[in-house]
Amino acid sequence: MSTGTATVRVELFGVPQLLTGRRQVEVPGRTLREVAGALAREFPALAGSVVDPATGWINGGYLFVVDGRFTRDPSCPVGPESSVLLVSAQAGGAS
Amino acid sequence: MNAVHGRYLHIDLSSGTARAYPLSEDVFARLIGGTGLASYLLYRFCPPGADPLGPENPLVFASSPFIGTGITTASKIAVAAKSPQTGMIGDSLSSSYLALALKRTSYDALVITGQAPGWTVLAVDDGEIRLLPGSDLLGLDPAATAGAVRAELGSGFRVAAIGVAGERGVRYASISNDGRLAGRTGTGAVMGSKRLKALAVRGTQRLPAVADPRGVVRAARELAARSLGPGTAKYRELGTAANLAFFSRLGVLPTRNFQAGTFEAAEAISGERLFLEHRTDKHGCAACTIGCEHHYRTRDAGEAVEVRLEYESLFALGSLCGVSDPNAVLRAAALCDRYGMDAISTGSTIAWAMECVERGVRLPGRPEEWPRFGDAEGLLRTIEAIGERRGLGDLLAEGSRRAAEITGQGSEAWAMHVKGLELPGYDPRKLKAMALGFAVSTRGACHNRSSAYEVDFSDQLDPQAEALAWARAAASSEDRAAVLDSLTVCKFLRHCFSDFFAEAADLFERVTGLPMSADELRLAGERINTVKKLFNIRQGWTRGDDTLPSRLLSGEAGGLTAAELDRLIQAYYRVRGWDEQGQVPPERLRDLGLADLLADGRMMREYA
Ligand code: SF4
Repeated sequence: MSTGTATVRVELFGVPQLLTGRRQVEVPGRTLREVAGALAREFPALAGSVVDPATGWINGGYLFVVDGRFTRDPSCPVGPESSVLLVSAQAGGAS
Repeated sequence: MNAVHGRYLHIDLSSGTARAYPLSEDVFARLIGGTGLASYLLYRFCPPGADPLGPENPLVFASSPFIGTGITTASKIAVAAKSPQTGMIGDSLSSSYLALALKRTSYDALVITGQAPGWTVLAVDDGEIRLLPGSDLLGLDPAATAGAVRAELGSGFRVAAIGVAGERGVRYASISNDGRLAGRTGTGAVMGSKRLKALAVRGTQRLPAVADPRGVVRAARELAARSLGPGTAKYRELGTAANLAFFSRLGVLPTRNFQAGTFEAAEAISGERLFLEHRTDKHGCAACTIGCEHHYRTRDAGEAVEVRLEYESLFALGSLCGVSDPNAVLRAAALCDRYGMDAISTGSTIAWAMECVERGVRLPGRPEEWPRFGDAEGLLRTIEAIGERRGLGDLLAEGSRRAAEITGQGSEAWAMHVKGLELPGYDPRKLKAMALGFAVSTRGACHNRSSAYEVDFSDQLDPQAEALAWARAAASSEDRAAVLDSLTVCKFLRHCFSDFFAEAADLFERVTGLPMSADELRLAGERINTVKKLFNIRQGWTRGDDTLPSRLLSGEAGGLTAAELDRLIQAYYRVRGWDEQGQVPPERLRDLGLADLLADGRMMREYA
């Protein structure tokens, strides 16, 4: 883990949880973009299907929930006190 | 126009006769097909005040222009009847080969009225009908019924069947075909009331040609490719069961009959855990490239059961009843399928009974048999009792609203329904758009006719946004759902379009040859929702029906209050162009192009 940047606790749900085998991880970052990049670096299983290696940002099927607010804003600031969840974007039923 | 036949078949089970009627191009141009067509035929055939379980309630099966075109997921049949749960419109969609078979009969829809003199199998064979004895099928589950019917009639027939619950008039009985369900609103009970154990359809006619075959093939290929992209990743990889743990974390997982929004044992029945410990494989519906149907197997000492499971069954038979044993939840889901009952209404009605027990309310039957929160055995025992309408099950077969009315003792306060339809797995206290969607939905509490939760689960609206913004979002989500249901395209495909209305309109035009713009298609969605609303009004809907259970309106923990919901509903009526009482003014009907289409509400039977 890199130093000099605050650590953010990220709770993982669905596919990210299965890929990492972890329900919760800690990564450095001051914004969601930095968090996404750190997730892909520290958990390579997430690179590709969850975090796009080309952009360093989460794929369209995912979003973050920061302190109860849903967001896909890469510049959203986060810190050690933030509650950050990484979840699949779709809910709902078919019929 | 292309891609439809322009006629439907009316079958009267009482007389055993059938007659074909034309369907004008106008109906498809304005209401598309699928749910729009089924709602229209229901409106025309069902008299005001009809007993939902009486012979005059029509049971409609409708196809759409997209069926048989190769467009992915578009092999769904729309089913509609007056609901025995709500007394209002009951409409369902079910993916199946039956949809394709019906279209190959050279009819766009079947309207079934009357009541057969004895238990019957209705065979529709290219437009010829046969009524065959069905009493030897009584007691069989839907899958076994379909197997027996196909063994007798031939494998070319596709079958929709009811289970024991439909035979015995459980008000939330479903219709099953190819293992998929027309699940909500009790259409299986309507089918049972007609003494119709199964509908078997064989179609061998050519499918009607599409207007632009090359354009349709190209668009269908593109859509199929996109259906395998990020827009459907969750459904393909984990299925909707993945909602459970996340919803619990957010505090919106209905738990112990909506007494809480977080389930302390959520992890034990989470989609992630089920995937690791119980999942066997994955299937898809007819004509679907996505394949979101995940199957799971029990892993306990009992006889192994394998079952398809979605989030709605998982929450209703799990957290809602306080049950944390995944094997019990899987067994409960399999029982619902076997009896042919909607899992949401089954779980919710049992959760109501569990709360009765918790609060010391007397119920029929022996107290030691009453189900209690967290009691897995009690859950399974009660599902069987409901399916067979035995003991306490006979009361619970009526659904939570009627069961509470019969029981009294204040139990109406914890019957968690809207208009008689039990709530699905979204606690609306923290989901403002969904709360409004549940309250105003013509179907009762439903997350499929209004996918307004998408607004709540996004950054589209600031939580402090004005009521009108929430109302616009809820109305537009209903209109998109109505278009999807009428094109009979799966809702799980909705994120595969970059501009849904523009792309779907283009596709509609290529398929049918009828000009259609994005705005016209959006308007068609509103029109379809208005037909449903008019049906409800004619069946006795009043302003007071658009509400939520009082438990959800206490305002506790930052949740919604009754006054807030009222403001949202008033804003919604304004967005729809309705008056303050939610009635549809005549000028709105004219603007929507419905005044002439629906004429003066005369019944179709008068033309027969
Ligand atoms: S996405 Fe799922 S529900 Fe929709 S048609 Fe495909 S398998 Fe059926």
